[in-house]
Formats: sequence, structure tokens, C-alpha cells
Amino acid sequence: MNVAIIGCGGMGHMHARMAANAGLKVVVCGDKFKRKADALAKKFDAAASDDCMEVITRPDVDIVAIATPTPVHTQYVVAAAEAGKHVFCEKPFGRTVHQCKEAIAAVKKAGVRLFVGHVVRYFQEFEAIKAQVDAGKIGRVGFIRTYRGGIMPEGEEMWFRDYDQSGGVTFDCVIHDLDWLRYMFGDVDHVFSQHLQRSTPETMDYSQTTLRMKSGVIANVIGTWAHPSGFRVKTELCGESGMIQYDSAESPIHAMSRGNAGAGPGMIVPSSPVPVSPYQLEWEDFVAWLYEEREPRVTAHDALEAVRIGLAALQSAESGKPVFL
Amino acid sequence: MTKIGMMSFAHMHACSYAACVNQLADAELTAIWDDDAARGQSMAKQYKTTFMADMKKFLASDIEGVIICSENVKHRAMTEAAAKAGKWVLCEKPLATTVDDAKAMVAACKKAKVGLGTAFPCRYAPTLIELKDRVARGELGEIYAASTTNNGSYPGGWFADDALSGGGATMDHTVHVVDVLRWLTGKEFTKAYCENGRLIHKNIHTDDVGSVHLEMDGGLIVSHIASWNRSKSFPTWGDVTLELIGEKGVIEVDAFNQKINVYSDKQMKAEWANWGGNMDLGLVQDFVAAVRERRDPPVTGLDGLRAVEVTVAAYRSVQTGKMVRVAS
Repeated sequence: MNVAIIGCGGMGHMHARMAANAGLKVVVCGDKFKRKADALAKKFDAAASDDCMEVITRPDVDIVAIATPTPVHTQYVVAAAEAGKHVFCEKPFGRTVHQCKEAIAAVKKAGVRLFVGHVVRYFQEFEAIKAQVDAGKIGRVGFIRTYRGGIMPEGEEMWFRDYDQSGGVTFDCVIHDLDWLRYMFGDVDHVFSQHLQRSTPETMDYSQTTLRMKSGVIANVIGTWAHPSGFRVKTELCGESGMIQYDSAESPIHAMSRGNAGAGPGMIVPSSPVPVSPYQLEWEDFVAWLYEEREPRVTAHDALEAVRIGLAALQSAESGKPVFL
Repeated sequence: MTKIGMMSFAHMHACSYAACVNQLADAELTAIWDDDAARGQSMAKQYKTTFMADMKKFLASDIEGVIICSENVKHRAMTEAAAKAGKWVLCEKPLATTVDDAKAMVAACKKAKVGLGTAFPCRYAPTLIELKDRVARGELGEIYAASTTNNGSYPGGWFADDALSGGGATMDHTVHVVDVLRWLTGKEFTKAYCENGRLIHKNIHTDDVGSVHLEMDGGLIVSHIASWNRSKSFPTWGDVTLELIGEKGVIEVDAFNQKINVYSDKQMKAEWANWGGNMDLGLVQDFVAAVRERRDPPVTGLDGLRAVEVTVAAYRSVQTGKMVRVAS
């Protein structure tokens, strides 16, 4: 099957590579900046265009992969569905619940399949945690604390720093943990959140969220785009008969370069030296679904719920009140 | 030689304080009174001092200062009795379980013209002193946010009996970090929101995890975890951690992460042996100096009261389901 990449930034490059690894062919790359489309297309000997709608409707395209800034995700999902293409959409699914619902309706009507890239469900370390919990190693889990982030990403035209577009660290970054917590511990009852979303004198965001799950379980979720460098993920689960801790800082390889000091990042993607990248695993899961082999680990409904929780956190931070889902 | 007495060993920190008094060249542990006579006698033996069964006689003696380590709800009565007898008081945290009790204790000591200190030993932890110095030097510029934890293992006994403790992990493990943040920033707490519950331990009847959201003057946001969530298999008792987000940078502190990893087949459990300084010694030393010089200890009853106000607001938030004002 042939893939079109829409949005040729950091995640566009990632998904092009992973789709190819999963046995698909990248045939065309679209980006409103032609230079970016060209740069990615060159790597895959694909066509390039700055007209994304034209890219989506090309007859040789079977799957559209969307890696644009969040607010325009669903307009491309809808266009792809209407053109009869299957869709891979980067998280967050959309910027509003309404957008997500429209997109789900469009894929349903068209009879195509939509997968949203909540990749943390495929990360080996998070799967290892799930396996231990499922095996009952720490008994019933009552409390979880998660931590994710580092330096604030830039992105084309600094779109991550425009909180109206990205939703800040809470909506763009912490949504990984919001989805994973719901995956592990079921639906959320209510959310309380605080965040910085500062633009002066330094642009930085930092967020502190507490989720109360319907089961009563409490999760404390910290997200940072306030660090001067780096990227770190920490997770701690406390159960009635034990604990599990994970900290990405305890990685097996620590490399320090003498050159290139002070180079700024685009979008930071954590690298873990594993046999198969979790980004490839999510693509393989999606492709297996397209070949009717199995249901995928993440559904469009899951992605909509993650958006709902993320928006509730933003609303709580604005209002100073808990928000019920 | 400054004469120090101890009132109750209900709280296990009493053992450390007694050992500290015994270490000081200019202080003596003159006597122990305890409403649990068997415990008091055994502690008197252990710390080589006299047990006195009668609190009146104990307070009428020539002891100059007392360290109170009773169950939380008894702090007030013991402090009032000691103040009335003209004794300087160092009271285990939390100072009290209600704002009224804490205020009464501060007032009683003021009236009796005795010093009242709250046992917040974190202010004597070398790591946190280093943090305080860095903040004071302006390394962070303005502090915008703090994410903190005071996790612990389950203490059992009266700690899980609200009638004696005033509350569970949220009561037990909020005040240390609240005091550290006041000390670091010079700001007061304005608002509190809390989710808590019995989430970890079966068959107990109080909260063992509290997720507390706070605001300080100027909008500084704080997320704090107060818990008894450390399992028996965890290599240490718990932690005090802070991540401070400032205008000019970030400081992450794991206050007691000065440890060696010990793997003993005799234990069959990995253990962290701490080699950092004994923060309790500084606390007790400063209390003894305050007694000798007849002045307030550096960490006062008012500091204890402010921390109680935050904890009480957290529990009020749990009851109302809203973010509430911290009364002061």
C-alpha cells in the first residue's frame, strides 16, 4: 500500500521512515512549505507538493499520514476519508472535541480506517510496566505519578509555543500519559490542573495535573517544557503489595559530544535502543488492522477521550476548579 | 548544662531527638515523662535517664525545655501545660491538627513568655540548606512552580487513627514541604486543592495518599504528594523531593539521595544506607541554644501554625471538592 505524508516536520520524517519499515511505500509528501516537502520526498524518491489537498486525493495513495500542527489534523482526516483513504493521524487527534467527532463521523461514513498515534502504548518500558501490573506483582494499584518533558520544542513557525495551537505541554506532551493512564486504569472522573503557559520574559510551560479515575485511583501527572535542555520520562506506580518505578535518565547509554554545543532541537523524540521502534510497532499494528489481522491497540474513540481529558485539564487550569468528564 | 525533658515517645522521631540531646556536650536529657508508662520506662533505660510517671512533678522539676513527641491531638494540652510551667517547647510536627489548637499553642507560649519551636528538621538538611543558598543567590530568579513529594512507608499505630492523628498521610506528610517552600521563597500559601483517599493499604481507615495542589503569593503553583505509598520492599523509608521551575533555570532536589546501595543476603531486600548529615542534630542543637539564651527557636510556633493552616485547607478542599483559601 502507498502512503502520503502530510506535514513534513520531525514527526513527518519519523512516520515516513516507520511506514516504510512496516512495508509500505511513501509515494508523496505534502507540506505548505515546499522546501520541507521536497526534503522528505527526496529521501524516499517520492513526489512532493505544497498542496496537501491535492496530495490526499492522488489516486495512487491508499493511506494518508498526518503530522501537521494539531489544529489542522482533522481537516485532513476528513478530506482523506472523503477521498476514500485510510488515515494515520499523529496525536493529539484534534484541538477540540467537535473536530474529533467530525473526523470520526467522516471516516465512519466513508468506511475507511483511522488510527491515532498514541505511541506510548507501544513503548517497551510502558508495556513492561503493564505486564508486571497485569501479573499482579504489586497488587491493586492505587496511585500513579508520571513525569514527561524537557526543553520546549520549536516546530515550524514556533507553533508549539503558540498555546492556542498546541495547547502547551499539557495538551501536546502530557496527553501521552493521559491516554496511557486511561488505557491502564479506565475512565477519568474528574481532573484538576495548574499550568504556567508563560510567554514573558521566557517562553515556557509547565503543568501539574491530578486525575481522579472513576475507580477512585489517583494519578499525579507532571509535564515540563520549562527545562533548559533534555527530555525525561518518569513513571511510578504504587500498589497494595509493591511499587514500580521507571526513569529514562537511567538509560544504558550516555553519550556526550564535544562539538555542536548549544544547537536547538526541533521536536524531541526519545530514543531507546530496542530491536523495533515503538513508532514502527504502532505502524505495524495499524497495517495489521488494514489487512484484517487484528484490532489495533488504540481506537479513534480512545484518541477522542484523550483529547477530552487534555481539554478538561486546560479548562481546570484556567478556572481553578476541578472539571468533571 | 541545659536541662531537657521529653514528653511522650508516641512519635518515633523522639528516639532520634533523645539520641541528639545525649550527643550534645552542653545539654542533658534530664527526664522522660510519657502517658504510656511502660514505653517511658523502656525509653528512659535506653537513653540513660530518669522516667517520671507524674507530669506535674516532671513539669515542676528544674527542666528548662521539653521536646513533645506525643500523638498529634495531644500536642496542644502538653504544650499548654509545659508553657504554664515556664518550659521552652519544641513540638513535633504537625504542630496541631486544627488551626484553633495551633493558635492556642502559640498564644499560650507567648503569654508564658517561653519559646515555642516546631520540629521541621528539613531546614537543617545540608541538601536543602544548599538549595536555600542557591535560591537566595538568585540562581532561579523568580520561582514560578514547584513539584514536590514527601513519600513514606506506612507508620501504622495511632498514625492511622484520625481521632489521635487528625488525619492520614495528608496530615502527616504535607507540612515538611510546606515549611521548606515558605522558607525558600518567603511567600505564604493562598489556596489549596486536594484529592486524597485510602488507596494503597487494605484495612486502614484514613487517607494514605494525598495529591495536593497549592498556590503561593504571586501565583507560584505547587503540586505536592503526601503519602505512605512506599512498600515494605522499597529500599528506604521514603523521600523529600522538590523540582523548582524558575525564570532562570530549574533545580531538582532529592533531599536524602546521599546513599550507598546495600545488597545483603541476610536481608534479601536492597537497601539504601544514607551517609548524609543528621538533620535532627541541628534542630535539637538550635533548640537547646534557644532554651539557654531564653529566645525563640529559629523555626517557630508560627511556622508550625502556617503549615497547619495549609493542611487544614487541604482537608477542607477534600470535603468541599473545591479549591479553598488558606486561612491566616
